[in-house]
Amino acid sequence: MRRLLDFLYDACAWLAALAMVGVLAMVLLSIVSRQLGFHVPGTDAYAGYCMAAAGFLALAHTLKRNEHIRVTLLLGSLKGRARDGLEMWAMTAGVFLAGLFAWYSLRLAWVSRAINDVSTSNDATPLWIPQLAMALGTLVLLVAFIDEWVLQLQGRRVAASSEEALHNE
Amino acid sequence: MSDFGITALLILTLFLLLGSSIWIGLTLTGVAWIGMQLFSSRPAGDAMAVTVWGSSSSWTLTALPLFIWMGEILFRTKLSESMFRGLAPWVSRLPGRLLHTNVVGCTIFAAVSGSSAATCATIGKMTLPELARRGYPEEITIGSLAGAGTLGLLIPPSIIMIVYGVTADVSIARLFVAGILPGIVLAALFSGYLAAWALLNGHKVPVPDRVLSFAEKMHESRHLIPVVLLIAAVLGSIYSGLATATEAAAVGVVGSIVLSAVQGSLNWATFREALMGATRLYCMIALILAGAAFLTLAMGYIGLPRHLAEFVGSLKLSPFMLMVALSVFYIILGCFLDGISMVVLTMGVILPTVQAAGFDLVWFGIFIVIVVEMAQITPPVGFNLFVLQGMTGKEITWIARVTLPFFFLMCAMVLLLWFVPQLATWLPARM
Amino acid sequence: QAKWDLPAAYPASNFHTENLEQFAKDVDKASGGKLKITVHANASLFKAPEIKRAVQGGQAQLGEILLVNFQNEWQIFGADGIPFLADSYDEAAKLWKAQKPVLDKKLGEQGMMVLYAVAWPPQGIYSKKPIASAADMKGLKWRAYSPATARIAELVGAQPVTVQAAELSQAMATGVVDSYMSSGSTGYDTKTYEHIKNWYDTQAWLPKNAVIVNKAAFNALDKPTQDALLKAAAEAETRGWAASKKANLEVLEKLKANGMQILQPSPQLKADMKKVGDTMLKEWLEKAGPEGQQLVDAYRKM
Ligand code: NA
Ligand code: NA
Repeated sequence: MRRLLDFLYDACAWLAALAMVGVLAMVLLSIVSRQLGFHVPGTDAYAGYCMAAAGFLALAHTLKRNEHIRVTLLLGSLKGRARDGLEMWAMTAGVFLAGLFAWYSLRLAWVSRAINDVSTSNDATPLWIPQLAMALGTLVLLVAFIDEWVLQLQGRRVAASSEEALHNE
Repeated sequence: MSDFGITALLILTLFLLLGSSIWIGLTLTGVAWIGMQLFSSRPAGDAMAVTVWGSSSSWTLTALPLFIWMGEILFRTKLSESMFRGLAPWVSRLPGRLLHTNVVGCTIFAAVSGSSAATCATIGKMTLPELARRGYPEEITIGSLAGAGTLGLLIPPSIIMIVYGVTADVSIARLFVAGILPGIVLAALFSGYLAAWALLNGHKVPVPDRVLSFAEKMHESRHLIPVVLLIAAVLGSIYSGLATATEAAAVGVVGSIVLSAVQGSLNWATFREALMGATRLYCMIALILAGAAFLTLAMGYIGLPRHLAEFVGSLKLSPFMLMVALSVFYIILGCFLDGISMVVLTMGVILPTVQAAGFDLVWFGIFIVIVVEMAQITPPVGFNLFVLQGMTGKEITWIARVTLPFFFLMCAMVLLLWFVPQLATWLPARM
Repeated sequence: QAKWDLPAAYPASNFHTENLEQFAKDVDKASGGKLKITVHANASLFKAPEIKRAVQGGQAQLGEILLVNFQNEWQIFGADGIPFLADSYDEAAKLWKAQKPVLDKKLGEQGMMVLYAVAWPPQGIYSKKPIASAADMKGLKWRAYSPATARIAELVGAQPVTVQAAELSQAMATGVVDSYMSSGSTGYDTKTYEHIKNWYDTQAWLPKNAVIVNKAAFNALDKPTQDALLKAAAEAETRGWAASKKANLEVLEKLKANGMQILQPSPQLKADMKKVGDTMLKEWLEKAGPEGQQLVDAYRKM
């Protein structure tokens, strides 16, 4: 189970990284096409979809790496059961809010398909397709939050120290 | 409930959620959710999803992840190191010595980056470890970095100028040019403050590595060549018509990859690390932006910014007092909203008042950029603070405290801009 | 008492938005304060492409949309974007009469209805270099911001360029774009006159902004309030068309004052563009099917 979950987070993060490359590719394509005199309709819209995918699909992976920031002033000053209690509250709120995000993101894609919401720009993409990335990303974030919540409850949660901080020690 | 009551309640909720260590992006979502459920009759969830999708997939912001990626690539090249080596000899005679590398580095990097957070992150990655290693006190190192990072918005290119230009129908090219002089003056103010601080706290500034002769300094400056080439590529692509201001970020990424290849630091491992690092850093910011977009929507429904702006307009102030009132208004708003939302939410109501008072819209754009810069470093919602928290692991309250002097310098800059408006208007008039 | 939100995408100073504000005031007065509408201008609540969906889903009770924006979803929305189908205010008014019942049916299926629509000023061609015929347009760097403007570029052999409204001004300054098609007011708003000095008054088409309302929200009002809303909407439509004509004249004067040449297209250019229009109408009819044919027939009979 553990390995399956970790694989899920990492696979989504790789998709996100791929989407990041997609943003670059789309913007470069619009520059190059102008110089060489050909036209690819909708590069701007595709760059936007890729950006959304990059942001949403990496949510869970970033959470697991402890790189989503929060104010830990109070948390850091507490010890023992008080600290566990506050962590539990934050985790619970996280599960709830991530749940809201996931539910309404799924609904967004669902409704887009139901009412045939199409991009108004030159690409004319049915919007539910790029919105799947948002739905998937927030859903996996919810899974990651539940995962953390359970680990916290069992007292097995180890907060990864952020790699970013290490660069500057 | 009165506007005052709603405001107080929402701010209280915000602090409560933030204080109880809930993730910042989710906190904004939570506050917006509570605000909409209590004070508006609208169904919150679907509106949230539509808005979050719209803002996360908006082409206008594509420069942000690209600038962040560029920063991550440059961090893994020798550029930071060589830029530091090129700058250090020139500033080591000034009072405050290498502290000035923060300000000068940010000023230079601001000319390739359109975002304050990306400027802060990239320069911080080079200066923070170097300065810490040499024993510079971290309060002043981190404070000056948070302050100087905001120059990314004032010195062109600039994401916030693009947004203001669109909302206020002002030429973006003019705004870009208008930002140059105020940007340099503000950088000078920052450096002046560092010098004054060093004179008063001489014992806290470490001794210089070694004093170089002029010829040696010139020789060391060769290390600046790569960064100068990169700036030339990015700005050159904009002003030659190869790329638009947003697309220039992509030129920056390609330029950084080329630079990294030339310096021999490009391999699959560094490329992958830079890409994954950029994806995570962008993802962290994207979650906060998503929350901010929803909070902005909730505010729009509840009508708070509109009522506040109308209130300011109704006071019938003299131009100077209007500017002061607007500064206070934006500083307060800036504590809770990100820069783009601040501009989009208030321009419609503020602009008529501003135009009636006879303000030049390019000048006002620079004014707006500076107050948005302040918003980057005021807690609880300040993106430079978030970036530095991510990088240093320090508490946001601590970072905000050590950055406070730079906040006051920006206030001084607003006054200076008022008394010497030519700072913003002289260059664009010559275009 | 009901409180409604009206998201709109254009700045507060635009004549469409000013008209909306007046409409909201009229509704307030006529309903005796029972219906209060807040106009959220400048895309401050929802952005242009989101507004239709927001009204459909009830996130906003009513909203202002640019009809041609939704052509990808259903071709009939784009009828007022076909070049030279309706090329004056009078023709555009007729087209709207023919379009309205079809739109009402479609929007009705989606749980909405149209309150009123107002045309933008007629579209002309901005070009850095003078153009006397379609042949002169070959190789122009042409801003393609919609499926229709992209197709025009293809048909005349211009190079379609994707540039966002936000960057149009800079793109013109640096030569990324040297021509595009839009109304005089867009040209003035984007300070096109700083970079481009020719505007050909082709009157190619007059796109319309429509104010749409969520049916469930409308049905929840009592009869007198509904009537007050419809009456104010009818007045707003009349007022809006007049304001559009006035804004067009004013803005052309302002463009002239800023050094823009307002030019009549040469007979050759007119004929060439008409041919482009015919091709696009044919293509549109193929995509729009019998509904489209009926609409065009009804319009031509008027
Ligand atoms: Na900049
Ligand atoms: Na702030």
